[in-house]
Amino acid sequence: MQAFSRRIMLRTTVSMAALLLGAASAPALAAPVIGQPAPAFTAVDSKGKQHSLADFKGKVVVLEWTNHDCPYVKKHYQANIPALQKQAQDAGVVWLSVISSAPGEQGHVDGKKADELTASRNAAPTAVLLDPQGTVGKAYDARTTPHMYVIDAKGVLRYAGGIDSIASAKLEDIEKASPLFKTAMQAVVKGETVAQATTRPYGCNVKYKS
Amino acid sequence: MLLSLPITRACWRDLLAALLIALTPALALAAQSNVQQSPRAMVSLVSEYAAVSPGQTLRIGLRQRLAPHWHTYWKNPGDAGSPPSISFDRAPGVTVGDIAWPGPDRFIIGPVASYGYENEIVFPMTLTVPQDARPGTELALGAKADWVVCEKECIPEEGTFRLVLPVEASARPASDEIRAAFRTADARQPQASPWKASVSARETTLQLRVEGEGISQASVQSALYFPDSWGIVDHVADQALKIEQGVLTLTTTRGQGYTPGPSAGLLAITDGGGQKRWFALELTPAAAATITEAPSTLPLWQMALFAFLGGLILNLMPCVFPVLAIKATAVAGMSGGDRRAVRLSGVFYTLGVLAAFMALALALLAVRAGGSAVGWGFQFQSPLFVAAMCWLMLAIGLNLSGVFEIGGALSGAGQDLAQKKGHAGSFFTGLLAVVVATPCTAPFMGAAIGSALVAPAYVSLLVFAMMGLGLALPFLLLGIFPAVARRLPRPGAWMVTLRQAMAFPMYATAAWLLWVLAQQSGEAGLRLALAGLVLVGLVGWLVGLHQQRAKKSWWPRGAALAGVAGIVGLTVVLHGAEPVAAAASTQSAQAEPYSAERLALLRAEGKPVFVNMTAAWCITCLVNERTTLSSAAVQQAMQDSGVIYMKGDWTKRDPAITAFLQSFGRDGLPFYAYYPAGKEPVVLPPVLTQAIVTDAFKQ
Repeated sequence: MQAFSRRIMLRTTVSMAALLLGAASAPALAAPVIGQPAPAFTAVDSKGKQHSLADFKGKVVVLEWTNHDCPYVKKHYQANIPALQKQAQDAGVVWLSVISSAPGEQGHVDGKKADELTASRNAAPTAVLLDPQGTVGKAYDARTTPHMYVIDAKGVLRYAGGIDSIASAKLEDIEKASPLFKTAMQAVVKGETVAQATTRPYGCNVKYKS
Repeated sequence: MLLSLPITRACWRDLLAALLIALTPALALAAQSNVQQSPRAMVSLVSEYAAVSPGQTLRIGLRQRLAPHWHTYWKNPGDAGSPPSISFDRAPGVTVGDIAWPGPDRFIIGPVASYGYENEIVFPMTLTVPQDARPGTELALGAKADWVVCEKECIPEEGTFRLVLPVEASARPASDEIRAAFRTADARQPQASPWKASVSARETTLQLRVEGEGISQASVQSALYFPDSWGIVDHVADQALKIEQGVLTLTTTRGQGYTPGPSAGLLAITDGGGQKRWFALELTPAAAATITEAPSTLPLWQMALFAFLGGLILNLMPCVFPVLAIKATAVAGMSGGDRRAVRLSGVFYTLGVLAAFMALALALLAVRAGGSAVGWGFQFQSPLFVAAMCWLMLAIGLNLSGVFEIGGALSGAGQDLAQKKGHAGSFFTGLLAVVVATPCTAPFMGAAIGSALVAPAYVSLLVFAMMGLGLALPFLLLGIFPAVARRLPRPGAWMVTLRQAMAFPMYATAAWLLWVLAQQSGEAGLRLALAGLVLVGLVGWLVGLHQQRAKKSWWPRGAALAGVAGIVGLTVVLHGAEPVAAAASTQSAQAEPYSAERLALLRAEGKPVFVNMTAAWCITCLVNERTTLSSAAVQQAMQDSGVIYMKGDWTKRDPAITAFLQSFGRDGLPFYAYYPAGKEPVVLPPVLTQAIVTDAFKQ
C-alpha cells in the first residue's frame, strides 16, 4: 500500500505537471520554452554579415554563449568545444557562438579580435555573433558562459542548459562529466527527443550591459 | 662551550618560562595552515583547537578572507560560479566529514544571481582524531582545495594546505581570532525548521508556504528561499513575501529545471531585530493547491481507488479483528432470515461505516480549520477517548457474555420493529468498526491521507468515503450475493457459544486500551479508568438484573442510573488529566529520544541516523519494534554501520514529531526514515522486516 500510495502521489503530480505544461503555451515567458519555437533574432557576425535564425531553417542550430576570458570557457576551449564544433560541422549543424559582453566588460571583443580568437583556439564555429546590447542573450535568457542551446531543423528549441554535468573550472572534470550538450545535439541531429532537455548551465555570468 | 657556562638552576627555570611564553603564540598559530594569498582572497585551513587529544572530535574549516565586493559560493552557487571543493590527504584513522554549508546570501549582478558569501567565511568540517594518537606526536593534515572567487569576473583559485596539530593529553582551543571566525560561520549554520513547509507550482510561478508558530509580521522582516539544487526557482527573481499570523508565503518565478516532488533548501529569515537566520526546509508538494488549480478527474479517481483498496485491506488488520468478530456473529444470526433482510443489513452496515468516516472527516476538517496541528489517529491520543473506548469494549464484552441484553425490551414488539432493530444494529456495528479501525488506517493510507488532508474539503470527504466503502465491502458482498450468505451455517445453540466466545476479543481490546492509557496518563489516569471499568460492570449487571426480573422494582434501575452518573463524573475528571510522558520501559536501551536539533547535528557530523516514530497506541509500531527493530540482527547491523538510532514518542501528540511527519507528507504512524551519511533520507515501509532494515543500512 505504501508503494501504491506513493505511486498515486507521483502519478498525480506528473499528470498535473503535464496539464500545466500543456497550458503553458498561452502566456509569453521570460525564458524560452523547450518544445516551442525558439525566439527569432537577427545579429551581425564578426565579419559584418547579418544572420537571422530564420535563415537556418532546415538545419539544426547550436547557440553557444561565450566570453574568452571566463575560466569556465577557457576550460572548454582547451579540451572540448573545438572538437564539438568539428563534430557539428560534419553533421551539418550550424554553430553560432554568441558574445553578449557589453563594451568595457570582460569578454567584449570586436570582429577582428573575435576572428583571431577563433584561429588561435582552433575553433570552428559557423559564425561568431556580436551582441553587445545583449538583445539575443536576453531573448534566450542566457545566464552563463558557456550556456548552450540546440534548435531543431523546424526552428523548435530542443535543449537549453549546461555544456556538461560537472560545474567546475577544472580541466580534469570534463572527462568525468556526463556530456549533456553533446548528447542533446546528437539526439536532435538524429531527430530523437532529448532525454534531459533542460539542465543546469554553469560558468561565469554573462557580462550584460547594466 | 655553552654548556660549560655556569648556569644556575633558577636561571634555567627563568629561561624555560621565557621560552614557553615566546612559544605560546606560535602554538596558537599552529591552529592555522599556510595561507594561500591572492589580491582577492586569503585562504587557509583552520582548526578550532590548537592542540588535539586522542579520540577527540573537533571542527576544522576552509577559511576564506575576501577582498571587498568579491564573493565565493554556497553548495548551490546560483546562476554562475561553483562551490569550493576540498580533498584530504590524511593519516590512517583520521576522518574528515563533509562541509556543513553555512547559509548563503544572494548577490544580484544584472540578470544573474549568485548564492554565496562576502568578506569572510569558514566552511566547517568534522575531524576525528584516532583513539590511538599518542600525546607528544603531531597530526598532520594535507589538503588540496579549489574555489572560484567572483566580483564581476570570476577567477578560479586553488591551494595546497598543510595543517599540523600537536596531539596532547588534553585539547587546547585555538586563538580567539580563529574561534571568532568559526563563530561567525556558525551564526550562519542552518537550523532545523520547526515549521511545516509546502510548495505549489503553477504555470510559471512557484509558491512556498511555511506555517507554524512564531511566524508573524513582527518576527519576520524579510525572507528568501535558497533551494539546495539548481532549477527549482529562478535564482534572480523577486520572492514576494506575504505574512499572515502563523503563515509565510513566498511567491517567485519557477525555475527552468523544476520537477514536481519534494525538494530541500534553506529559508533565510531576517527577524524584527535585523538578525538573519537560516532554516533547513524540506518542501513537500501541496497536493491541494495543484488539484484545485487543474481539476482533473483521473488523479482524483486514482486517489479514490487507492483509498478504497486501503479500506478493503483494513478488514485484515489486527485492530479491526474485534469488529470482524461482531460482523461474524451478526452474519451468523441472519443466515436463517430472508435475503432482503441480509441485503439490507449489509446496506445499513455500509451506511454506518460511511457515516463514521464522514463524521471523522468533518471533525478532522473542523479541527484543521481551527489551526491545530493534528494527525490522523489523533483521537487515540486523548486519554478520555481511550478510557471511553475501553469502557465501551467492556460493555460490549459483557453484552456478548450475556450479562445484559441490548434492546431486549423491543424483541417481542413484532416483526417490523425487530427488523428495524436489526438495521440499527448493523448501522452501529458499522460505526464501531470505523472507530476501532482508526489507528490502523494511518499506516496503510499514509501518503494518500496526508494529501487528502491538505486537499479541498470535497477531496478529503471523497477519500474518506471510499475508504469506508472498502471497509464495508466484504459485508456488503454477503448481502448482494445471497449465495454466499446461504452457505453460512444454520443458526442454533452454537451461536450462543460463539457469541460468548466473541466477548474475549472485546476484553482483550479493553485490556490493550487500558495499557495504552497507562502509557498516556500514568497511574492517575489508570486509577480513574479502572474505577470506570468497575462501574461499567456494575451498571451492566444491574441492567441485566432488571431485564431478568418478571416483577420490576425501582432499585436496580435507580442504581444503574447512579452508576452511569459515576462514569460521567469520571470522564469529567479524566478530561482534565494531563497526559504524562510514555513510560521509560518502552524506550529501548540505546535509542536516543528524537530531537530535530540533534538530528541536524548528527547529520552535519556525517553520521547515519535511523529515525523511528512510534506511539503506545500504534500496534503496528509495537509489532515492528518487537519483531524487527529490537532483533539481534538489526541491532548488530546498526552497530556495524555506526547508525544512530533515534526514537520519537507520539503517544501524546508531540508537535515536533507532528512537524517531522508532515515534512514527509505523513499524518500517521508507523513511520521510519533512514538518513544515510551525507545523503537524502530514505522512507522505509510501515511494515518492516529485518531484511528491509539491514538492506537500507547498506546504502
